[in-house]
Amino acid sequence: MTLPIRILTAVPICDGHDSAINTINLEFIRHGIEVIYLGYHRSVGDIVRAAIQEDVRAIGISSYNGGHIEFFAEVVDLLRKRGASDIKVFGGGGGTITHDDAATMRRKGVDQIFFAGTSLAEMTDYVRKNYGMPRKTQSRTKSWDIELAWKLTEIEDGLAKGKRLTFNAQRSTSKKTIGNRQSAIGNAKVIGFTGPGGAGKTTLIDELVLRFLKQNPRRRIAILSHDPSVVGEGALLGDRATMINSQNDRVFMRSMATRGQAGGLSPATHDCLALLAQSNFDYVIIETVGTGQEALPFQKNGIVDLTVLVMNPDYGSRLQLQKIVMLDLADIVVVNKSDLQRARTAHSEIEQRLEQNRRDQRLIDTVAKRHRDSGVDRLFELICRDERSRRGKARNKS
Amino acid sequence: MSKLGQVAEAVEKYNQFVLAQVKRARWDEKFGRELIKRWNEIKAKTPVTHTPTGLPLPRLALPEIDEPGEIARYLFGEGLPGEFPFLNGAYREMYLEPVRKIETGNYGKKTLADGAKQKADGNGARPPEEPTRLFSGLMLAEDTNERFHYLTQHQRTHRLSTAFDGPTLYGIDSDADGVFGKIGEGGVAIDTIEDMVRLYDGFDLGSPNFSASMTISGPAPIIMAMYIAAAKRHFGSKVVPKLRGTIQADIFKEVQAQNETIFPIEASLRFLTDMVEFTTREMPRWYPISISGYHIGEAGSTPVQQAAYTLSNGFAYAEMFAARGIPVDQFGPRLSFFLDCGLDAEYIALARVSRRIWAIGMRDAYGAGPRGQLFKLHTQTSGRSLIAAEFKNNLTRTAAELMLAYMNATNSCHSNSADEPFTTPSEEWIRLAAHGQAILLEESGIFKHTMNMLSGSPGMKAVERAVERAILDEFREIERLGGVLAAVEDRFQRSQIQNAAHRYEQQIYDGTRPIIGLNKYRNGEDVAPEIKLARTPRKKQQLQVDRLAKFKKKNAEKATRALDKLAAIVERGENCFPALLEAVEVCSLGQITGCLQEVVGRFRPMV
Repeated sequence: MTLPIRILTAVPICDGHDSAINTINLEFIRHGIEVIYLGYHRSVGDIVRAAIQEDVRAIGISSYNGGHIEFFAEVVDLLRKRGASDIKVFGGGGGTITHDDAATMRRKGVDQIFFAGTSLAEMTDYVRKNYGMPRKTQSRTKSWDIELAWKLTEIEDGLAKGKRLTFNAQRSTSKKTIGNRQSAIGNAKVIGFTGPGGAGKTTLIDELVLRFLKQNPRRRIAILSHDPSVVGEGALLGDRATMINSQNDRVFMRSMATRGQAGGLSPATHDCLALLAQSNFDYVIIETVGTGQEALPFQKNGIVDLTVLVMNPDYGSRLQLQKIVMLDLADIVVVNKSDLQRARTAHSEIEQRLEQNRRDQRLIDTVAKRHRDSGVDRLFELICRDERSRRGKARNKS
Repeated sequence: MSKLGQVAEAVEKYNQFVLAQVKRARWDEKFGRELIKRWNEIKAKTPVTHTPTGLPLPRLALPEIDEPGEIARYLFGEGLPGEFPFLNGAYREMYLEPVRKIETGNYGKKTLADGAKQKADGNGARPPEEPTRLFSGLMLAEDTNERFHYLTQHQRTHRLSTAFDGPTLYGIDSDADGVFGKIGEGGVAIDTIEDMVRLYDGFDLGSPNFSASMTISGPAPIIMAMYIAAAKRHFGSKVVPKLRGTIQADIFKEVQAQNETIFPIEASLRFLTDMVEFTTREMPRWYPISISGYHIGEAGSTPVQQAAYTLSNGFAYAEMFAARGIPVDQFGPRLSFFLDCGLDAEYIALARVSRRIWAIGMRDAYGAGPRGQLFKLHTQTSGRSLIAAEFKNNLTRTAAELMLAYMNATNSCHSNSADEPFTTPSEEWIRLAAHGQAILLEESGIFKHTMNMLSGSPGMKAVERAVERAILDEFREIERLGGVLAAVEDRFQRSQIQNAAHRYEQQIYDGTRPIIGLNKYRNGEDVAPEIKLARTPRKKQQLQVDRLAKFKKKNAEKATRALDKLAAIVERGENCFPALLEAVEVCSLGQITGCLQEVVGRFRPMV
């Protein structure tokens, strides 16, 4: 089986022209490519950081607002500076990029510029032909981010090829890579977020990340985010586009396609999570794809410390609630979009449902889309408090 | 039911009313006689004009009808130009001689321009403004200023239309990370009030012959405050009530299509309403919002989606302003519209139908008086229809679109330059675009002799009926989703537009939508066109950054105080516009955006 090509696409800063890239993204995934879409109005720093963390083979930039010669060159330069010049850069801009411009851009290290009138098939062929080969291994020392990113790829692709790296192998690697970072706190706390599609998981996580980052200027967070693979095709991994606060040097984010596995996670999730949990982050956040009623994504993963089920108030009748198995297992249940009319009913119905479980489950209402939402503040506090008590317990034991 | 549902209902009710009038005219003899009398009076009062070849023509063309039912159908269903429901035009006369001088683009041709000027001067009463308005903005403020003076050197009225560069449109400063190459590209770079002063230097901002249009939405309230403050620096505070012009400030279409939103939707709408509350009270001649379908169309919507989303956005704004307590007759006349005109058949009547729906909705659902019912429209020919391959064909495309725009009786129009797919238009192609309008309006006899020259053909009527039905269907769909804001947050309009865009692209690729020179009659090899590009030199970009640094250093202390005050006012939920007016004196655009984002958050993109 050939491994899916992973590429990152984005539109430069101060440019909102996303119509072309949306069309191209769809065409790419139709041809088996996994596209991490970063969205529009994106800085060079955001693009390069994401490309490294996601370990993509190439970056495709769609620019329609001018300044492309500088912008593309800055991306190439920053990749080089970060030791990631194996990541290639290509792009286009309809008629705004002239043939002369393109020649200059190629001289500055851009692989290819597509002009107006290029068919989607031509672009897809180009990507498959030029970025389909496995990466050449690099002998010189890699940055911490690159090492971690490559390791994650190794796990993901190893599984796809039927090889599973042993847990020990990961442990040793992670120790080696972390080496000089040991001064920070010990193992990460792993928080799992799940829930139906459209409940607002991504936005909620991003709002929490903002609070984590603000609370402590040294805190580091990893995010493992999942999006479904299209049957027999690639995947559009688009969470980064909405997670504006998570595009930060203290956040390591990885987007994974489910690659044919049901249940909201990827076959490689467990091992990737194990690696991240030992890689010296304070928090590792894992987000499943939108799940159905029977899903129990974190059950066999002993690694998740705290599970959060994010619900949409519009789940249907009370009977539907009885069927959601995750309600029995989640540590915290969040009713997001609690500004919707149905939210009060939802809250009391879910509250009753949780009371039957007789576990110490918490129920919180949030409006994640709202800046500084007090519900998200409460959820954040709860997660932090839980953290403190856990640490406290650990200290008592030792 | 949200207001939008009421509007759909009002239009249907009005259509029923028209049918009832038609029936009544046929059985109620007295009513019928009155109608015939009125009809004959209108015809008798219509002056006759003569074409250069000597042909006499009425200045207002009317259908050849004498049966009371049909007269009722015309007068109530369409209305004379300038009469409710305004299907045929917002005003009684438009584009007609002797008001026919489109004097833009006479670069260096003094003789022709002087002749035109004499005619204008000799015309006693002040003739209406020219409908031509050309969009311009490049490099730094002084460069755009020079272009403005060049464009208007022979114009009687100075209608400047300003394009801003990317960093300005996103409310960030020229010294922000990674934007250097974007400074002055695609529009003018504005960071501070000092840039704004330079931008309009030498123009009499308080003159009744001057108006400024600013195409910016996300940071519109900040830019508006900068404009007012800059005008005050030059002309004192007495100039404020005299300021004329338009600022785009359309947040809904940004979220739906153009992606230049910088604050969360609700906060953006709040700042907008703050500005509208201020300007409609203090600047009665200013248009504080231009409700824009253009970018919706450019993002790939169908023409019906464009009209339906634009109108529904307009009704949602009206609802919001009314909820703030601004009287409908204060804000209603200060709303204006901006539509795209492409080559699809819908464009034969898209603006006509929009004008009618707006008038009925504002009158019957919002209680607006006659001035608040007018759908005042600026049209721009479609930029998306222009392509790079064999780009000179773009002249023909734009000409056909101009024809459609004027057939819809647009109040003003911008014609795109054929080189737009490549760059900010260059002077040669701007001149051709401006002259395209002059040829249509001044040289040809299509529009200058007779109002209604092309209105009301059976084909146009068929398009009107089909388009109106489709727009009302869209209204009902948005209504089902809980109104405009709820639908926007649900990404409804956005995903509809994207679907339409994908279909359009697909049609080009599979050839079902012929694009001459691209997928049909293609001329073999793609020859790279030789076009002189308007790029901003690095030196100028550096100059902008240096100026900004100086400004920030000079005002550092005052800026902190102004920003603290602004933040506190926003925090308290008060109208922040007066605080913005103070802040722009000492703070840069980026500093103010950053301060506001600290309080209300940043916009989270929808993908």
